[in-house]
Amino acid sequence: MPTQNLVETHNLTKEYGKVRCVDSVNMQVPSGAVYGFLGPNGAGKSTTLKMLLGLAKPTAGDITLFGMPVKEKTRMKLLKQTGSLIESPSYYGHLTGEENLQIIQTLKGCSEKDIDKVLKIVRLEDARKKLVNHYSLGMKQRLGLAAALLGFPKLLILDEPTNGLDPAGIQEMRELICTLPSEYGITVIVSSHLLSEIDQMADHVGIIRKGGLVYQNTLESLHSHAKQQIALRVSHPAIALDLLRQDGITAAQEEDYLLLPMMDDAYVANLCKQLVSQNISLYRIEKREKSLEDIFLSLTGKESSL
Amino acid sequence: MITLLMEWKKIKRKKVGLTMCALMGIQFAWHFWAARNPSEKELLQGWLGNLQTQPLLCAIMMPTVMSVLASRLADIEHKGNTYKQLKTLRTAGTLYHVKVLCGFLFILAMTAANYLFLLALGYLHGYVGDPDPKAYLLSFALQSACCLSLYLLQLDLSLLFFNQMIPLVVGLCGSMLGVILMYLKTYSFLPWGGFLSSAIVMMDWNRDTKVVTYYYRDFSSIEFLALTMVAVWIIVFYTVGRILFTRKES
Repeated sequence: MPTQNLVETHNLTKEYGKVRCVDSVNMQVPSGAVYGFLGPNGAGKSTTLKMLLGLAKPTAGDITLFGMPVKEKTRMKLLKQTGSLIESPSYYGHLTGEENLQIIQTLKGCSEKDIDKVLKIVRLEDARKKLVNHYSLGMKQRLGLAAALLGFPKLLILDEPTNGLDPAGIQEMRELICTLPSEYGITVIVSSHLLSEIDQMADHVGIIRKGGLVYQNTLESLHSHAKQQIALRVSHPAIALDLLRQDGITAAQEEDYLLLPMMDDAYVANLCKQLVSQNISLYRIEKREKSLEDIFLSLTGKESSL
Repeated sequence: MITLLMEWKKIKRKKVGLTMCALMGIQFAWHFWAARNPSEKELLQGWLGNLQTQPLLCAIMMPTVMSVLASRLADIEHKGNTYKQLKTLRTAGTLYHVKVLCGFLFILAMTAANYLFLLALGYLHGYVGDPDPKAYLLSFALQSACCLSLYLLQLDLSLLFFNQMIPLVVGLCGSMLGVILMYLKTYSFLPWGGFLSSAIVMMDWNRDTKVVTYYYRDFSSIEFLALTMVAVWIIVFYTVGRILFTRKES
């Protein structure tokens, strides 16, 4: 079980000129989690992740990695325990996949044996001697992930890692990400603009909209918001609401409807009888379901892909 | 040191050395053609003549050669979008230093090859006497410094611009400027004029007798100032380039 936050940001802000791309983000990534960083395109996901890696300088705010504040002097030391794949994979096209990994491995100072291990994990063993210019986009993406995995860092930051992958590749990448915390003890931050993707990979989620973090909690907690409700349309909503509250039912009025928590059929029937007996006409009874998508869209302002 | 070694590994198959050899080959051919069928007077002054010709050819060739070298070293990073990864492994300052150092090693190798060729040419033609080692070493050091100043300028441009046509065009314009400056003055404060400002041997051509006489240059104060500009440009291009590269976000 996660015990402490591996990554924390405090009022992290980034401005380009007068445009505020990231606005006071307080991110908390628990150790051992797969943290899904969700948001529409242009919401500030990549900029936030770049700031975590020191690739963009925050305008304001602080970053704490592994419990230590990230300063100019400590940045490289802390990043040694980090692997990343930001936007598109980085590679030297005129070198083979293996040669690319050898460069990263040497710069990271990790074991040469790691190259074989990561190539096996991303299933690029057969293409190790092939020039990267001859790789498909999906293979390049996998090579980028292999480079990020070298040295098996404590923290892996992946920005839209399934971009450019075919459906089978996407599925493979998801499965791999899900296994990283349990098999290698790696905490993963993975960004995406696709809710379904994060829903299948993450156990924690942060939702960013127009630079601001609008939601952050466990995915389970987000799912709990996706609840069912019963909507009643009656002749006298105010009187009906009072009656329901007197019965201890948590109800709320929304336009012409009264919204009640989900209850069994017998209880609903009894409730209807009670309202009718009080001369309140019952026009409609509807079952309403607020899906995960609805919650996400309401948080992100209906700008994102589902 | 590891980062520098990786720099060499990165340029594997890019044929940077071969490209430089090809460009140097043009310069060698030029030298060879210029020194063909030497007269008795030319044989007497051959060793001095080499030190006068070398900066002139460098003024024409080196701006382009340096732009090609810098572009080859910077382009591999642009094409593979690698800085966002490298900057998580090394500081931007280290990455800049390594590019400078890698290029400078190429410069030293090329300049050394140039001077060795001049010596070989002298012995082949049978120039009278022996070359002055101090003069050759000084000329070698000054020409390397001039190349470094131009390389730093080109590297800064190549690192800042994704499109490598911009620095290459600057390099070609620098070569043209080198030709123009050669006809105008014996010194210049411009970065591309460094080769002329640092020439330690000058030529006197007598219009009536059509006799060429080479002599060691006695630097006037303004010529000395122009010479020190080479060092100034190195400091300026290094400082500005490093700051811009370090501040540039990936």
